[in-house]
Amino acid sequence: MEELDILKKAWKKEESSFEQVSEKQIYTMLHQKSSSIVKWILIISILEFVFWNVIAFGMNDEKYQAKLEAYGIAQFMLIINVINYAVIVGFIYVFYKNYRAISTLDSTNTLMTSIVKTRKTVQNYIWYNLIIIAVTIVISIVMMFSHSPEMISMMEKQVHDGHKTLFMFICIGVSTLFIAGIIGLFWLFYRLLYGILLKKLFANYKELKKIEL
Amino acid sequence: MSQDLEQSFVKQLKENQNIIHKICRLYTSGEDAHKDLFQEITIQLWKAYPKFRGDSKFSTWAYRVALNTAITLYRKSTRSIQTSNFDTANVFIKQEEYNYEEEEQIKLMYQAVYQLNDIEKALVFMYLEDKDYEEISETLGISQVNARVKMNRIKTKLKKILNP
Repeated sequence: MEELDILKKAWKKEESSFEQVSEKQIYTMLHQKSSSIVKWILIISILEFVFWNVIAFGMNDEKYQAKLEAYGIAQFMLIINVINYAVIVGFIYVFYKNYRAISTLDSTNTLMTSIVKTRKTVQNYIWYNLIIIAVTIVISIVMMFSHSPEMISMMEKQVHDGHKTLFMFICIGVSTLFIAGIIGLFWLFYRLLYGILLKKLFANYKELKKIEL
Repeated sequence: MSQDLEQSFVKQLKENQNIIHKICRLYTSGEDAHKDLFQEITIQLWKAYPKFRGDSKFSTWAYRVALNTAITLYRKSTRSIQTSNFDTANVFIKQEEYNYEEEEQIKLMYQAVYQLNDIEKALVFMYLEDKDYEEISETLGISQVNARVKMNRIKTKLKKILNP
């Protein structure tokens, strides 16, 4: 191709025309902070792990424990907690392994794939947390209905008035909306957060995949 | 990291800095953006340096890290104002004595290359650097056949941009 070869000629000539950076300037650069997306993914991911654990920890006070006892699900929740921590440790291990696998010495394709994989681990972790939260809410609601004295008397009143089906329907409806609302909010938040961060990477990733089709 | 390592790195980088300048030339416009990407590539090279064994040339090794940074890791800094204005990109380059007609043509070529996406720019970059398809395929992680096909498409695309 003629045009590109004209550019090639100019390209070679231009080689000597770049303003040269001194050794001192390079030293200064080495001590500057990187702003690469991998660094941002790492920071955000660690914050996410911390955030979800703080939430879990914050919920777990004595009052909450007493309530669990009263509803008769303390043992059940303990098992859930143990499993939960095992899963979190597993997630952190996989995340760390993926993160370590990111190397600028790999081909562009491999590098992008490892970043996407790291991102996927955190994403799965978030989904896992949202599901756990949803399950916990559902169990709490069910247990509240069967164990809380106020709820039981309210329920009896509704049954007495003949509104049982309607009452149940409203309860399930409100709970579903509530859970969907929470999950939707998080989903939107993460879409925005990572959407902005990874927009360029995903565009280039798709572009590269297209070549291989 | 030891001071010796830092010293040898700085020395080699200084000698090979034009590789980075050339990548910045294709991927950024404007002096600030050029410096910003230059710095990020330098940091990434430094991070990867302990893995540089010296069994390949510093330049070959640097190509990959620098391109990967430009395509994958680099986030355009909000500090630099994005502009497609070619003249601002030209400020950073000392003016050479071209003849006017050729200069105009080269200007148009650069403008056309700026319209390509990041992956296409990488292929153009390696073409301008006289890399063979084996190295292009290894660097990007695509097959040689596909690299060739894509290169031909880019040439057609550039032709279309230049002669609409």
